[in-house]
Amino acid sequence: MKQNKNGPRWRLLRNILLMVFGFLLYAYAVQATEVNLRRPLEPQRQENLVNMLRDLARPELFAYETETRSVHLTLRTPCPDQPLATQRPSEGRLITLNPNCATTPQDRLTLVGEGFPVFARGSLRWHPPGDDATPRQLTTFRADAQGNVNVTFTLPDVRISDEPQTIEVRELVGQRIIGLSSASIVTWERILETIFMALVASTIGTLIAVPLSFIAARNLMETVKGSLGNIMATIIAIPIGSLVGGLVASFLNQTTLQIMTQPVLGVGAVVAGAAAAWGLIVFGRSLLDSRPLTGSERIVTQVRLAGVVLLTLFNLLLLAYLGLPAGDWLRDNLGFFGFLGNLVYVLSDFTRLLFPSLVGLAAILMAMSLGSRYGDEAIRRLEGTSARLLTALLTFGGTAVFIYGIGLGLNWLYQFENLDNWTTSPALIGGAVAALLSLAVPTEKQLPLGMTLYAVVRAILNTLRSIEPIILAVIFVIWVGLGPFAGIMALTIHSIADLGKLFSEEVENIADGPIEAITATGANKMQTIVFAVVPQIIPPYISFIFYRWDINVRLSTIIGFVGGGGIGYVLQQNVNLLLYRRASVMIIAIALVVSLLDYVSARLRNRLI
Amino acid sequence: MLRVKNLSKVYDDGTVALRDVSFEVPDGEFLTIIGLSGSGKSTLLRCINRLIEPTEGEIWWNDTKLSHVTGEELRRARRKIGMIFQHFNLVDRSTVLTNVLSGRLGYVNPIASVFGRFPKNDLEQAYRNLERVGIREKAQNRADELSGGQRQRVGIARALMQEPEVMLADEPVASLDPALAHSIMRYLQQINREDGITVLCSLHFLDLVQQYGTRAIALNEGQLVFDGLPREIDDERFKDIYGQEAERIG
Repeated sequence: MKQNKNGPRWRLLRNILLMVFGFLLYAYAVQATEVNLRRPLEPQRQENLVNMLRDLARPELFAYETETRSVHLTLRTPCPDQPLATQRPSEGRLITLNPNCATTPQDRLTLVGEGFPVFARGSLRWHPPGDDATPRQLTTFRADAQGNVNVTFTLPDVRISDEPQTIEVRELVGQRIIGLSSASIVTWERILETIFMALVASTIGTLIAVPLSFIAARNLMETVKGSLGNIMATIIAIPIGSLVGGLVASFLNQTTLQIMTQPVLGVGAVVAGAAAAWGLIVFGRSLLDSRPLTGSERIVTQVRLAGVVLLTLFNLLLLAYLGLPAGDWLRDNLGFFGFLGNLVYVLSDFTRLLFPSLVGLAAILMAMSLGSRYGDEAIRRLEGTSARLLTALLTFGGTAVFIYGIGLGLNWLYQFENLDNWTTSPALIGGAVAALLSLAVPTEKQLPLGMTLYAVVRAILNTLRSIEPIILAVIFVIWVGLGPFAGIMALTIHSIADLGKLFSEEVENIADGPIEAITATGANKMQTIVFAVVPQIIPPYISFIFYRWDINVRLSTIIGFVGGGGIGYVLQQNVNLLLYRRASVMIIAIALVVSLLDYVSARLRNRLI
Repeated sequence: MLRVKNLSKVYDDGTVALRDVSFEVPDGEFLTIIGLSGSGKSTLLRCINRLIEPTEGEIWWNDTKLSHVTGEELRRARRKIGMIFQHFNLVDRSTVLTNVLSGRLGYVNPIASVFGRFPKNDLEQAYRNLERVGIREKAQNRADELSGGQRQRVGIARALMQEPEVMLADEPVASLDPALAHSIMRYLQQINREDGITVLCSLHFLDLVQQYGTRAIALNEGQLVFDGLPREIDDERFKDIYGQEAERIG
């Protein structure tokens, strides 16, 4: 049997079956994709295509001053039973409209002209009935080598009326360039906007993606482990940190608001705060000293550090409040450099708005670090049963906090009727169950904390990456409104996800030897990353950043289509209005910028690596 | 005194790298470790500074239970154990000086070090150690511009920055020209004799073992098959360690 299976006959049969299957597959694909050759061959569609391509080939780069001469031919609606033609001579030209009437938009009218200058250009315009109706362009024409014109056209809509309506034959007599066209000017403004959108998105994306990429790298996270008590103490610290951070932030905010009633006082406070922080850093034992600390020295050092941090935060907030009016003033008084004032204003506004989150986040991270350290130490100081009980207690707290947090998150989305059913009760029950289960885990067993974080971050990055930026842009347009800001947000999110993945894969590919060697010196995780990982990843990171900028420029042209600002926004408008000559300018600009950027980034990459 | 008690290591894929290995190393010894490739020499050395987690058994350095310390204590234990590697494990794109200074990472203020700031003393010590291994003038060169022998000397200087009490050397001369092997081995001998640093060094060549080692242990498929003086390894013992097929060279 076995021999049979590999025999020539079986192979032949298999190949025939494969071929039949392939045939069926493609046959169905043709139907599914609605391949239709007849439609593209319809004369009307071919003519539309040709017109569009000819328009695209003549980008409207410059503004012209044109001289025209017009001949008006009366149009009748609807057609009488016996349609007639109108013939009109005009300065050596003989123009005939046949028929001179239309009943439906499908009616085809033909305009024949003789005696035009050779290759003369012009357009046909329809003047609808009524005095204030705006004329609409119907088509363009061009005379042949004998000065003959022959165009067939239809009316976009037919208005039955007794009032006079005309077809205007508008012949171009002469033209000269008077400057850049409005399309060129808009393109210049919008292409700059596009480049800056891509620049900002790539920069912010990189700043966030770099730290994330370390968490999303298997080789770095595999060695990060913690005991159950350690992990749970860290989780418990999160709400404590956010509470403390919130209190500190609101206290600083209140104080700042009071001080800022007198801006002069604010300036004084900034100077005084900076001086105090400097004093805390300089006087006393150097903070960078690495000799072991005695108990009291440790307390003094920690108080000094806390003081420096608080003063820095306070100064940051004061500066933000001072920056708002200062930026406003600069923007109005710096003339061309007013954008610098705008930057001061925007940065101040950002700082002011994000201050509570910033302080909260810092406090959470600090609390987590303290919780992790002391949780671990407490468990290792205790022995046997008491260590076990402490672990169980911490597990109860940690699990409860975790479940409560998830409950709050779900509630935000689904707005439950009875919140307790989703937060307090499951938190208590889950905590108790987890505490019981924790008794079965050895207190010092090292759990794969790093790999859990790795999996979570990877999952988030992959999910974000799979959402196309154009969909993200739709979401952000709803949130922050039409314009480039929505586009920047969408591109940033996508850049973070994309760069995070690319970066982390680069980290996973580096040589392990240096990491091993640096770890062996007793360096901590952060030092290992800075000394062993960072030098190895700088060249690929730089190359990815440029690549991403390149991608972001291309994406931002598309994101405009859904209202995300940039050149895509105006390109789409022009395409919809069938203004292909204007669209052509924009398409050319995009192509130029993308290839220019490609060239520049290749040069920079070569130089930096 | 370094004590290894009933040490075993089984990798996640089921490979048994060490089986119940026990031995002691008194202070100031130059212990050489021999065995075929894959006999567990590297695993043994890496279990001592916990680059690899032992599965079972204990490792003691004086009063420190090296096999079980964690977190901050582990880092403090590691900084007293220098290590040099077969492939040097330098950071190629950093300067020689930075590579050497990174040996101080276990001691210095972490934040300051991340911004590249090291105490003046450490900087002076880095130059002294580079001078000791004879490549002071290469301090500002990138590590990948150096030759193999020079790179291993940077590795030694880096390990010396730790002011180690124990030096682990994992096949330190295996990827070097044999002519350079003695120069590297002499540096190890020097730090063993002059600084009193206990050295544990895995080696391939028996003549190096007999020339530099004050004692030798041998591993075969993760088991300790010899523990004695290097000159006690005669042809018969040699075949026990390396198998009947092996021939002595060098």
